[in-house]
Amino acid sequence: MPNPFLVPVYLIYTAVSIGLVFWLARTLFRNGAIFLEDVFEDNEPMAQAVNRLLVIGFYMLNLGYAALLLKSESAPDAISAVEVLAQKLGVLLLSLAVLHFVNMYVFYRIRRRATAAVLPPPVAHHGMVQPTWSPTLPAPPLPAPPWPVAP
Amino acid sequence: MIASFGPEARVTAALRSPGRLVVAYDAECQLCIRCRHWLESQPTYVPLDFLDAGSPAAKAWLDSFGAWLGVELVVVSDRGEVWIGPAAFLMCLWATTEYREWSYRLSGPALAPVAERFFRMVSARRSGLGRALGPGGCDDGQCRHRS
Repeated sequence: MPNPFLVPVYLIYTAVSIGLVFWLARTLFRNGAIFLEDVFEDNEPMAQAVNRLLVIGFYMLNLGYAALLLKSESAPDAISAVEVLAQKLGVLLLSLAVLHFVNMYVFYRIRRRATAAVLPPPVAHHGMVQPTWSPTLPAPPLPAPPWPVAP
Repeated sequence: MIASFGPEARVTAALRSPGRLVVAYDAECQLCIRCRHWLESQPTYVPLDFLDAGSPAAKAWLDSFGAWLGVELVVVSDRGEVWIGPAAFLMCLWATTEYREWSYRLSGPALAPVAERFFRMVSARRSGLGRALGPGGCDDGQCRHRS
């Protein structure tokens, strides 16, 4: 057996990566729910559905990527085995971090679009007129002043 | 800008927002007509109506702002608020779904002076710019209007 240390490296890597992805997905699910409930506040099932679909995508992407990272060339002794393991976990963690920030950006975009719909005008108005003109409706008559008009 | 919006804050914001805008633009200038067609093709958060700033209806209605009509862009809300010049351009952006964020960016401290100068420059040179563009309006009604 030329690489006696590869099997333990693979086993540890598999266990750690599955645990990591599971933990991250749970965190994302719990905290993403808060964001999405704010966006779809009138539609609770929609928020849950979007959240679940995002987490499913997160699982598939990360587990698939972790599986592709598994294969390594050789680990002839204990030291190189630890190094191989550390390098794999490092690459996996950095990729997960990038994906995590992409995910947060997606949440931010979804929420920003929802809040833009209720934002008030950005600039103050310069003055007022009687709000009477309309292209379709005739102008309503002006209300009588509530104070006595001087002759 | 991404402050927390609870239900109460949403209601307050909706109360502070106009439900409709009337855009009084210079119907003589080609650039303004093009801009009107562009604005009509945009999806908007609030309905927009367009009014020829030189028309008698506009003169009668916006009498107290008559000096601005046909000189600067004038936007009036359904509650009677009037915006003039660069602020009126920003209100047109604010009405659109795609560019509402830009109305905030352009009115922020970093970009407001630049935006104001730009809108004033475009407004002052609109007839020249319109001539350079040539007549390219939508006389046949075949362009991308909402309806």
